[in-house]
Amino acid sequence: MKNFKKLFIVVFSVLMVVGLVACGKSDSGKQKEGDASSADKKSYDKVVYAYATFNNIPSSDVLDTVAEEINKITREKINVEVELLPIAIFDYSSSVSLTLQGGGQIDLFQSLGDFNTSVSSDMAYDLTDLIDTYATEAKEVLGQDFLDACVKDGSLYGIPTYKPYALTPMVIYKQEIADELNIDMSQVKNIFDLTDVLRKVKEAYPDMTPLVPVQTGTSGVNMTIPEVDYLTDDYYSPKGILKGNDMTVVDYYGTSEFADISNLARTWYNEGLILQDAATTTSTATELMAAANSFCYVASYSYPPADTAASISAQVGGIPLGAVQIGEAYLDTTSINALSWMVSSTSKVPEAALKFLNLTFTDPDIINLIIYGIKDRDYVISEDGYVSYPEGQDASSVPYTAQLSCGTLGNFFLMHPMEGTSKESLIWEEEQNQLAKKSPAMGFTFDSSGVKTEYTAVSNVIQQYLPGLLCGSVDPEVMIPEFQNKLSEAGLDTIIEAKQSQLDEWLKNK
Amino acid sequence: MKKGKNNKNNRGLTKNGPLLLIALPGILYLFINNYIPMFGVFLAFKDYSYVKGIFGSDWNGFNNFKYLFRQDAFTIIRNTLLYNLTFIILGTICAILVAILMCELGERFRVKIFQSSLLLPNLLSWVVIGFVGYAFLNADTGFINNTLIRLFGGEKVAWYTTPKHWPIILTIVHLWKNVGYSSIIYMASISGIDKSIFEAAKIDGAKKLEQIRHITIPMLKPTVVILTLMSIGRIFYSDFGLFYQVPMNSGALYSVTQTIDTYVYNGLMELQDIGMSAAAALYQSVVGFVLVVTANAVVRKVDSDNALF
Amino acid sequence: MIKVTDEKRFKAFATVILTILTIITLLPIILIVIGSFTDESSLISNGYSYIPKEWSLDAYYYLINQGKLIFRAYGITILVTVAGTVTSVLFTTMLAYPMSRKSFKYRNILSFFVFFTMLFNGGIVSSYMMWTNIFSIKNTIWALILPNYLVTAFNVFLVRNFYENNIPEAIIESAQIDGATELRIFWKMIVPLSVPTVATISLFTALLYWNDWLNGLYYITKSELFGIQNLLIKIMNNVQFLKSGSSNFLGVGNVELPGTSVRMAMAVIGILPIIIVYPFIQKYFIKGVVVGAVKG
Repeated sequence: MKNFKKLFIVVFSVLMVVGLVACGKSDSGKQKEGDASSADKKSYDKVVYAYATFNNIPSSDVLDTVAEEINKITREKINVEVELLPIAIFDYSSSVSLTLQGGGQIDLFQSLGDFNTSVSSDMAYDLTDLIDTYATEAKEVLGQDFLDACVKDGSLYGIPTYKPYALTPMVIYKQEIADELNIDMSQVKNIFDLTDVLRKVKEAYPDMTPLVPVQTGTSGVNMTIPEVDYLTDDYYSPKGILKGNDMTVVDYYGTSEFADISNLARTWYNEGLILQDAATTTSTATELMAAANSFCYVASYSYPPADTAASISAQVGGIPLGAVQIGEAYLDTTSINALSWMVSSTSKVPEAALKFLNLTFTDPDIINLIIYGIKDRDYVISEDGYVSYPEGQDASSVPYTAQLSCGTLGNFFLMHPMEGTSKESLIWEEEQNQLAKKSPAMGFTFDSSGVKTEYTAVSNVIQQYLPGLLCGSVDPEVMIPEFQNKLSEAGLDTIIEAKQSQLDEWLKNK
Repeated sequence: MKKGKNNKNNRGLTKNGPLLLIALPGILYLFINNYIPMFGVFLAFKDYSYVKGIFGSDWNGFNNFKYLFRQDAFTIIRNTLLYNLTFIILGTICAILVAILMCELGERFRVKIFQSSLLLPNLLSWVVIGFVGYAFLNADTGFINNTLIRLFGGEKVAWYTTPKHWPIILTIVHLWKNVGYSSIIYMASISGIDKSIFEAAKIDGAKKLEQIRHITIPMLKPTVVILTLMSIGRIFYSDFGLFYQVPMNSGALYSVTQTIDTYVYNGLMELQDIGMSAAAALYQSVVGFVLVVTANAVVRKVDSDNALF
Repeated sequence: MIKVTDEKRFKAFATVILTILTIITLLPIILIVIGSFTDESSLISNGYSYIPKEWSLDAYYYLINQGKLIFRAYGITILVTVAGTVTSVLFTTMLAYPMSRKSFKYRNILSFFVFFTMLFNGGIVSSYMMWTNIFSIKNTIWALILPNYLVTAFNVFLVRNFYENNIPEAIIESAQIDGATELRIFWKMIVPLSVPTVATISLFTALLYWNDWLNGLYYITKSELFGIQNLLIKIMNNVQFLKSGSSNFLGVGNVELPGTSVRMAMAVIGILPIIIVYPFIQKYFIKGVVVGAVKG
């Protein structure tokens, strides 16, 4: 027992010492940083740029090297020094939220589909007066129409990421099987045409489940209802929508289109054409496609169909894939502002922040530094301008890369294209942004703060019923009426009324 | 050892000052870590604005609580309470049984293996357990549907859309994860029992089962009471991982798997309202508090030594 | 002789029951381990199986590729766990002991004080604000040790309960009569007797620290300070996103990632050290404590 106690004390003291030393080191580290930069830092505004990353988070000294390269440019151009703060995508929203609440410094951050709530909780700085002075170039790049997606109650709160917005619903399928069974996929013009194809495949391969879900809880059928404006709701939890040019807010679940696709999904389920556990599966579309017993899935992409198929083919291990369009892209406000950049309301240097944000939309050097890191160390660039990793390295071994964040930062079209993509497709995508059909309610955002109680109740009900209906695992004849009852109890009508009145108000002022 | 609260029998030898000093580091820590941040409770009554911060945001009265009392609220409360009650009762019984069995085997290699094995599930994260559940229960390729049912005959079951099996499934999973862990507490208590009592009983001719019934179990009573009281305090909370990950958040099962915590999470995913989540937390705390104070008062009347406070 | 048979019978019975329980408990875990060694496409087509169609080390290769990161993360977690557990045990026993003394004037107040913390909680924001602004622990190792786990009401009550029921008032009295100070009584007498309960809360606290990822999530943004759980979760989420077929990731180049099997491998890596260490500290739970000092 005595030994035990002695051991206890020794271990304890050693650890305290080690702990203090470690703490000391990080302190002295900070000290050095402080000294060096305080000399020249006097005249520069410091902007903290928080961005979501899907790659590994680099160590602090590597981050500093990249930030330094950025600073060389920004010091001259806009008198600003930048601190890079990459945060893993999963923690991003809560991390930013917590830091801001706790009073920490983050000047620039992005919304991940929650633009609306960021604005109503006062997280975003009002940019209306600042945009023309500090970010005119970015404004030009986007155009007034797209910029309006970030306007709420007449004030501008953010700048949408400039990237391909137009998502076209497609069927991605295994080319070999289609060829083998003599199926001409170009005859599939809409989702209903797909049924016969699936039946043919099932006949030939009874053990196969031809259609796999693109994501847990949906077979993809919901993406094929044309011209739906979700009016600020999440695509997977619609509450009140607009169809086409009709400015009446309707209950999504009461529409005939919804009944049709639910019945379609049910048919598929009953005939074994869709994965039985589509509503709860943990495997992703690409995983399921890479396996042997699947044929196709439905998803929306921004690339032209042929390129999409080639790209995904690479991701599933080289199985030849084809893609055919079964719907058209339709842009609503959320398509644009889902990924918006905002200046935090608590920022002490909003002008400087906006100036830097502007650069991420207009300066290729800056945006490429943020995405790819330092040339030759983190990436190499070929003669015709395609980027790849240095010999023997990949995304997880280079010191710095945020390549996967490419669709979320600044101006996508200024980034060097990756090896394997095509420059022509990029141009096509940018064109589509202008050509795609836009909802008449583009620019309208719904403020849900008056109906929060109903919102939570309705969200819960939707969570309960929608996946089953979209994947066909429940009977629509029975379930849709039940679903609608519950929705009504939960207050869906209140939400729809609120949306309608806000929409009417907005239309008046347009 | 039935003594009153302020026992004067030790002739005033106890020095309160030094004892308080010994307790000081713990007290200080709890004060800093738990009491100071309690001002955050106000968030439940405020309409939070980032610009105004916690202290400057507008008061909201009870608005943030409204969503917790709607129609479906009864289902979630019922679920939460029933599950917790079942878990407390079954969990305690199983943990004690296992503890007794292990202690009887004494210190042997075998017991080490048993104990490590029973503890293992507790080390796994719920996400992984959800996956394993999926491996067993998924309709197409799950172990049960694919292998067991084929072996023993019978229809395949679409587990994730059939609510009636889940109370049992969730209870089994809960026990699987926790019995090993809780049995350790009881084992420590049993180890602390004076061996001479057992010796005396043996000499008097008591058989093993009798020894267990008359010595071990009564001596475990204080531990059981304490643990149960603490569990009652948490009766409005649920283990989020268990109720969210294991049923893979399948909507069809909500009527039996939705608890307060998953309801709040699902409801606030889109809204991300800070005040409303704070309101839910406060609601759970208050209910638990009232229940435990009541339970403690009852225990105090019956057997005052074992009350929590 | 009757007694011997009776005991033997009971022990045999206990062994049988425990063996059955152990097997049932381990079955899912074995599935996980096998899953981590299963080829990804086989996992998806055929589901999990005890005898996979194809074996593969891909999941582990992927994780080893993140190699440097993992070792550092292990180091951090081990340091935090040991430091946190040792300190916690110390503070907890020091708090629980006075509470267990029936003649202690402040016993009930303290009990309430401690218990209240179990129920009411200011929420993550206010904790975060306090620890970050007043104590400046953000992005330091202290952020992984100090918040939340250092003293928990649950442990305090466990220890108090142990002391109340296993340390007779009599021996304390005899020491007091001999003129010992309270501090001396605590150090020389109580601490040596605390072995089973100290072992228990050490285990619980160590597990708390080892499995914690919330502190890392809230307080650490610098990758050098990530613990093993945070690191594994980040790796997993990255893989998950990459495989979601979302339109953001087109043109990313072919990234052949084992998804589900990586999750299983991560689970194995996450619990491995504990499985290795645990057998060595087990004896403290099982060995009986002979209280020799009390003789009637």
